[in-house]
Amino acid sequence: MNQPSSSSQLSRRRLFQYAGLAGAAVAGLSACGGDDGGGSGSGPQQRGGVLTHGATGGSGKDTLDAHAPVTNPDIARVSNLFEPLLFWDNNYELQPALAESVEPNKTADEWTIRLRDGLTFHNGKDVTAEDVLYTIGRVADPKNPTSAGVDLARVIDLQATKAMDDRTVRVVLKQPYSILDAIVAEYTFGIVPVDYDPAKPIGTGAFSYESFTPGKTSTFKKYAGYWGDPAFVDQLVIQDFADDNAKVNALLAGQIQTLDNLPTNLIDSVKGQGGAALVSKTGAWVPFTMRVDTAPFSDNRVRQALRLIVDRQQMVDQALNGYGSLGNDLYAPFDDAYAGDDFPQREQDLDQAKSLLKQAGQEGLQVELFTGDDISAVAVASANLFAEQAKAAGVDVRVTKKTPFYGDDYLSYPFAQDFWNTRLYIPQAAVCAVPGATYNETHFDNPKFTKLVNDATKETDEAKRNQMLVDAQQIEYDEGGYIIWGFREQIDGYGAGVQGIEPSKYLPLGSYKFQFASVSA
Amino acid sequence: MSVTDAPASPIEEDRPAPSPRGRPAAVSWLLWLLRRLGLAVLTLWLVSVLVFVATSALGNPVRAILGRDYEVSPERVRQLEGLLNLDQPLPQRYLSWLGALLQGDLGTSIASQRPVTEMIGDTVTNSLVLVLIAAVVMIPLAFGIAMISSAMRRKRGDTIIQTVLLALAGLPEFVIGILLVALFSTTVFTILPAVTISVPGTPPWSAPETMVLPVLTLVLAVSPYVARIVRATLLEVLDSDYVELARLKGVPEPVVMRRHALRNAIVPGIQVIALQLAWLAGGVVVVEYLFSYPGIGAQLVDAVRNHDVPMVQALSMIIAAVYVTVNLVADLVSILLTPRARTEISG
Repeated sequence: MNQPSSSSQLSRRRLFQYAGLAGAAVAGLSACGGDDGGGSGSGPQQRGGVLTHGATGGSGKDTLDAHAPVTNPDIARVSNLFEPLLFWDNNYELQPALAESVEPNKTADEWTIRLRDGLTFHNGKDVTAEDVLYTIGRVADPKNPTSAGVDLARVIDLQATKAMDDRTVRVVLKQPYSILDAIVAEYTFGIVPVDYDPAKPIGTGAFSYESFTPGKTSTFKKYAGYWGDPAFVDQLVIQDFADDNAKVNALLAGQIQTLDNLPTNLIDSVKGQGGAALVSKTGAWVPFTMRVDTAPFSDNRVRQALRLIVDRQQMVDQALNGYGSLGNDLYAPFDDAYAGDDFPQREQDLDQAKSLLKQAGQEGLQVELFTGDDISAVAVASANLFAEQAKAAGVDVRVTKKTPFYGDDYLSYPFAQDFWNTRLYIPQAAVCAVPGATYNETHFDNPKFTKLVNDATKETDEAKRNQMLVDAQQIEYDEGGYIIWGFREQIDGYGAGVQGIEPSKYLPLGSYKFQFASVSA
Repeated sequence: MSVTDAPASPIEEDRPAPSPRGRPAAVSWLLWLLRRLGLAVLTLWLVSVLVFVATSALGNPVRAILGRDYEVSPERVRQLEGLLNLDQPLPQRYLSWLGALLQGDLGTSIASQRPVTEMIGDTVTNSLVLVLIAAVVMIPLAFGIAMISSAMRRKRGDTIIQTVLLALAGLPEFVIGILLVALFSTTVFTILPAVTISVPGTPPWSAPETMVLPVLTLVLAVSPYVARIVRATLLEVLDSDYVELARLKGVPEPVVMRRHALRNAIVPGIQVIALQLAWLAGGVVVVEYLFSYPGIGAQLVDAVRNHDVPMVQALSMIIAAVYVTVNLVADLVSILLTPRARTEISG
């Protein structure tokens, strides 16, 4: 996806102030799909036809609830049926979607949402401020918040949040919250009408609902009244696959045109049949987690030593088959404030590691590393690799596979692993690095750090906020409990004749926006 | 569960069985049937205990279902525990589950919160159709191969057929399936669909071409056993004295094959077919998974992955019930077709 060249110079917030640019940004997205030949076909994109997407996973648990997608097929479905107010573009930057602007006041405790003109739901009804209010109320329901609303439910004042006119909503918060625009851009925050019923899902997306069988197939048709550029294909079919081989076979046989999560060992067979592998950078990571409150990791020298033992490049090459980039013990690589590229890149330094361990009185250190298949295949591979690398530093790492890993002992393992997907810095820190966070595996509790993150959440000046976050990252870089050795790349596949699908840092297959994809007959 | 071994005696004339001890034949038959049914019910009951204990012994299912969220959502933990009656002791849970099962209530699926019966109706039908089509293709094919092979005994044709059958019997069905997909769908030709993608609400056979490879895989996986057993029986009969006598009397070879050999091979054939059909009831799991066929196999894998305990229990019981029923029917048919066994019961 090519960004309009101006966007790198403009702050994302300023961009929304130009209502005219809003349309251009979205139009540009579809246009570049056609010209760049993102797909494996050549020539102009064709209209018509059916695109069948092979989705990895899914089961009888599948849902069409706009605000509760869990699996890959769920996410693919809601991403085409519903649209949030803003959206993450393929470069993981905010762009206008249903809203032409989402603006905070100076103190970030009141936000004004201005809807685009001429929006309709699939049943023909206009999209109004009431629908936005209903959606916010559903997502941030204090009794039962959905995934996008857990944080929001805590800060929003639902009573005071009101519609100002048909196209304007004022969101009132109980405390400053500077990243509301990031929250309302999540795919889990699609705008639904006031009488929304998940059994008859009506949204504003480029495709409207036709049929749905959980765990199997669902079908959608091109929505003629779509506010943006209409979809190229007439029908979208999303088929669940439990098995990787079946999925790739279906692509090779021409039964499906796109698939997400292509196993690296099958890339060549897809290419051999005229298809292509789509490789996208992501912010997903599988860290080693050291409990900073438990010996021997309570000694920062031990944590530093283990961080210096890891050969990160070897991890990326072997555990990720080369499809990844180096990590520097910090997360949220797509956040504007990400400091991992600014701090010195940590590399394997066995002498330094040995010396640190000696200082800490931990020569001949023996540790048990807990891992499990339910984290991911990457976890077990990297755990074994780490044990090998640690030998060279005289550290004896015993890898223990727990089944299930996410059982009684989760969050209490002294030394273990976990998985995380792409997030911005503040929401990520809120769930993993502050006291009381839901998944604080490292038991990190640094008052200075916590204050920096909390203050940043309230700060609307982007430069000031980013500086606070850089300072917070300095603390994690110096004494945190994570070993973040790399970020995984997302690999998807598509067949011959498919055009218009660009790599995206957000979600697989150009963030599942199939309206930009075309198929040739 | 075989009642008879391969009979070496000739088929007798088909006349009512004598009942020398005076007990009416009908009563003897009824008693035999009742005993056989009782055994089947006993088997199913034992299976139900095993299934229940096994699924309950896997540890706390709620923890497995919620995974990483177990610690943080006590409300959902309570809700799921209520759904699974985890507050009751194991025997009581078993009894209430069995009670509901006997009334046709298979419980509520944890994954979808819908009744299990509603969830599995279509998939059970889909699997039955798949197995039935496979059986309809397989039975005449296996008998045909056996007849050709035994007629060509010790000639090159027989050797080739036996080698192919042995090779096929040695291949697991997923290997057969993958080879077929490579041959017909992806690598060599692309003439058949590699997986079943059916429009929601319509059964898979509304697009018959998607059924070809799953059926073919099952047929190729099962036919070798049936063909080899039938061939062995045919050869045994063809070597027997009374066939020799028939030949000496000038009965033409095709008639010998049809009237004497084949009719004697039917009973052992039925036994091995029943065993294979019963195996298919569970063995479709792999084939359905491979071809994304929407049947109980795929659903069982799905349910196990979701830790959907009521669903796993229901599907296991259905597979067990099919197994027991097929064996029961096979025994019944075998006896009706075997005069000696028939006589023993009536007598």
